[in-house]
Amino acid sequence: MIAFEDHLGISDAFKKKILETALSRGGDFAEIYAEYRLYTSIYMEEDIIKETAESVSLGVGVRVISGEKTGYGYTNDPAIDSITSAALTAASIADSGKTVSLPVFRKIQPPEDRYPLARPVHLATLEDKIEIVKRGYLACQKSDPKIKKVKVLFQDHVQFVSVVNSEGWEAEDARPQMRLVCTAVAEKERRKELGFSGGGGRVGLEYFEQTLSPERIGLEAAEEALLLLEAVEAPAGEMPVVLAPGHAGVLVHEAVGHLLEADFNRQKTSIFWDKLGKPVGSPLLTIYDDPTRPSFRGSYNIDDEGTPPSKTLLIDRGIVHSFLQDRLSARLMGRPLTGHGRRQDYTCIPIPRMSNTYVDAGRDDPEEILRSVTKGIYAEKFEGGQVEDSGKFTFSISAGYLIEEGRLTAPIKQATLIGTNIDILQKIEKVGADLTFGLQTGTCGKDGQEVPVTDGCPTIKISKMTVGGQS
Amino acid sequence: MTEGPKGPSLLDLAESVVRSGKACGADEIEATVSDGREFSVDVRRGQIENLVEAGSRGLSFRVIKDKKTAHAATSDLQEETIARLVRNAVSRAALGSPDEYAGLPHLSSEKVDIPSLRLFDPEVSGLEPARKIRLALETERIALGDKRITNSHGASFITNEVTTVLAGSNGFLGSYDQTFCSLSVGLQAGDTDERVEDYWVSVDRFFKNLEPPETVAKKAVERTVRQLNPRKIRTQTVPLIFEPDMTDWLMGFLFSCISAVAVYQKTSFLAGRQGERIGNENVTVVDDALMPGKLGSRPFDSEGVPCRKTTVFDRGVLRRYLSNTYAGRKLKLPTTGNSDGGGVGPNNFFLVPGTFSPHEMIASMDRGLILTRTIGHGLNPVTGDISRGAFGLWVEAGEITFPVSEVTIAGNLGEILSQIEMVGNDLDFRSPVCGPTIKVGALTVAGE
Repeated sequence: MIAFEDHLGISDAFKKKILETALSRGGDFAEIYAEYRLYTSIYMEEDIIKETAESVSLGVGVRVISGEKTGYGYTNDPAIDSITSAALTAASIADSGKTVSLPVFRKIQPPEDRYPLARPVHLATLEDKIEIVKRGYLACQKSDPKIKKVKVLFQDHVQFVSVVNSEGWEAEDARPQMRLVCTAVAEKERRKELGFSGGGGRVGLEYFEQTLSPERIGLEAAEEALLLLEAVEAPAGEMPVVLAPGHAGVLVHEAVGHLLEADFNRQKTSIFWDKLGKPVGSPLLTIYDDPTRPSFRGSYNIDDEGTPPSKTLLIDRGIVHSFLQDRLSARLMGRPLTGHGRRQDYTCIPIPRMSNTYVDAGRDDPEEILRSVTKGIYAEKFEGGQVEDSGKFTFSISAGYLIEEGRLTAPIKQATLIGTNIDILQKIEKVGADLTFGLQTGTCGKDGQEVPVTDGCPTIKISKMTVGGQS
Repeated sequence: MTEGPKGPSLLDLAESVVRSGKACGADEIEATVSDGREFSVDVRRGQIENLVEAGSRGLSFRVIKDKKTAHAATSDLQEETIARLVRNAVSRAALGSPDEYAGLPHLSSEKVDIPSLRLFDPEVSGLEPARKIRLALETERIALGDKRITNSHGASFITNEVTTVLAGSNGFLGSYDQTFCSLSVGLQAGDTDERVEDYWVSVDRFFKNLEPPETVAKKAVERTVRQLNPRKIRTQTVPLIFEPDMTDWLMGFLFSCISAVAVYQKTSFLAGRQGERIGNENVTVVDDALMPGKLGSRPFDSEGVPCRKTTVFDRGVLRRYLSNTYAGRKLKLPTTGNSDGGGVGPNNFFLVPGTFSPHEMIASMDRGLILTRTIGHGLNPVTGDISRGAFGLWVEAGEITFPVSEVTIAGNLGEILSQIEMVGNDLDFRSPVCGPTIKVGALTVAGE
């Protein structure tokens, strides 16, 4: 176990001792999570490699669950006393006098490795990575004289995670992660616009030759900025909205995904808590969350509680099928584990989270979907969204088009769309056959914890939604 | 300079990193060590849900060699790890490009008197866990006592103690201790499919200044129930009143546009406009690090530059961008003591309050919307464009008539600043980036 033994010097006997200390006040469940992470980043701007950075994150978190209560202590000091003290802090949540005897540890093996790498990024030289940054930068800058500013950021890390718990589970994961993002500013007659693109995932450097080249990423950022120079104000009011395949998955992430996370439903704050098995949306709508997709940014071999994850059906033809579970919620709700207990790092308690969330392909022809709209908008790129437990959600378009008489016409400036999920899910009129995933660069925030995710969807038509433009 | 209980050993660590950087061949090096102690308790429906207590340390540093910069950070403070990171940083710097603007600031002879800033409350560090738990339980209990409240997101009490130490090869050595505490509760009202939600948080450096459970609960309840039975409205252009929290995010967006980093990078619509009139005469914006006890106060910035008060907008005219040393050199401006990590950050950055009470401002409005909450993204510093999901209260003939939900607002920051008609007297510094209630001429509200 790399994080335990190689970096923290924690032996099997000491693991047992920490778990015993953690359960000394009578908790139901105890767990040790250890993490060792190595990061690098390279930043290019004003035609020079301006900064490089390297960082190390090392720490241990000890968790105790007693009934519905969680106690948590963590430390980045590998000294025995510090880890023991974290265990005592976590232990203090319980007061039952119950004694638990620890079973023999058994290794939890995920069925397959989801990060097939040819050229692991953390073993590559900095020179190789700098070369990739420069390729993206130059492609963006040289694409058009109107591109006045380019910024390229490359980030990678490898995260070694070890988990052991009082049920005898022992699991580990070594997760690579990488992304290259490019920002472009285009300028024409005092008007300035921003374009963005990127790529990455749990991949090796071969990604840039086989899947998406740095040049393509640079060009896409430039193209978006140039397109926005010609954009008109987005309209304001209710109208049909067609979601482009790919990036628009953020709508499903916000409108549906978060509110199917088990904690919100166990606590009955989510609008979905009493809707398991009930229809909430159009029968055309099927949604999955799948942490097992190879190489995806949101994927993992085990979750941050050591559970091997499974592809989870969330909405089955409009009907709520299941919630995204972590250990605590699964036990309290009497549901099976789905492997969605994630945490930002060792300082955080794991909570139910999404991984790679997407709308399954439907049967409609994307061209046909466009032709069915007389006047509306086509939402193509997104900068993010937000949802409340009440089901009100927004997402912001960074690029899109007007649809007039079934055709895309003028590009539109940024606009925010707002709706209530159950209302909007029922207004899904058409689902295309063209399932696509968005950029492999996204991060999702919940309770102050950031984790990597991706979203995807085919072309989707929503019959009516409030668009917040200015004209 | 004050030294916390851990001060001496942290100072030694920071100085030893600077020494070893120089020994490895760095021309300049600057090391920051932070030591934090965190306590947080979340309670929900009368029970503890999560209890977290921990201490952690971190080191970060940057080296400059031949005008090339490399950064590093670690939470692993074992000697061999630090030695390796220092060596790596010096050799990694060689792979960067020379940048004539890179480097540490010159050592200033000025010093801010740290005790007078009142950053540290010994009472916060001495609070018994049982008392903190009781405060959270009490707050939630009072809130749930209101019949209109149907569910709880829970109440939390959080304390943080942080020691910050900075040492530089330019001769700077400094440290300070600070405390924060907060009490909050989040609530829902209404039936399952028609529910509304909001929260309230009181936050301060000093425990005695924290709002008591009754106040936190009452404000959270009021903010939640006032949204019950909302209506949608037609798409229209109307005057808007921003409640203080809403002015806060507007000021946060303004900060990102007057940051000297965004300005030299040309990613702000306010780049190249210093000296120009941007807002009307009601817009005076200040960044002031030296206000005793305030959340954004600090004696020196992350480069060891003494912090100060800077007027950013003076009656509508853009006077100064806020800067660190690097962006300042690029723009040929002195640093304003706003260095924060690798970039530029606010100290206490606020819109100077006016004389109107919120009540007077509402009474002055014939028809319009009081903006109470926004959700989503939709801020573009390059253009100043704003587009967000919004919630609010509809005003007719100077009186609040009904809550509004599921609308969006859209406008442009420059245009908003030029049409701020009234500025409130209710600035409360609950956030380091803040403002009072304001009334704005007209914005597009998209609804049905």
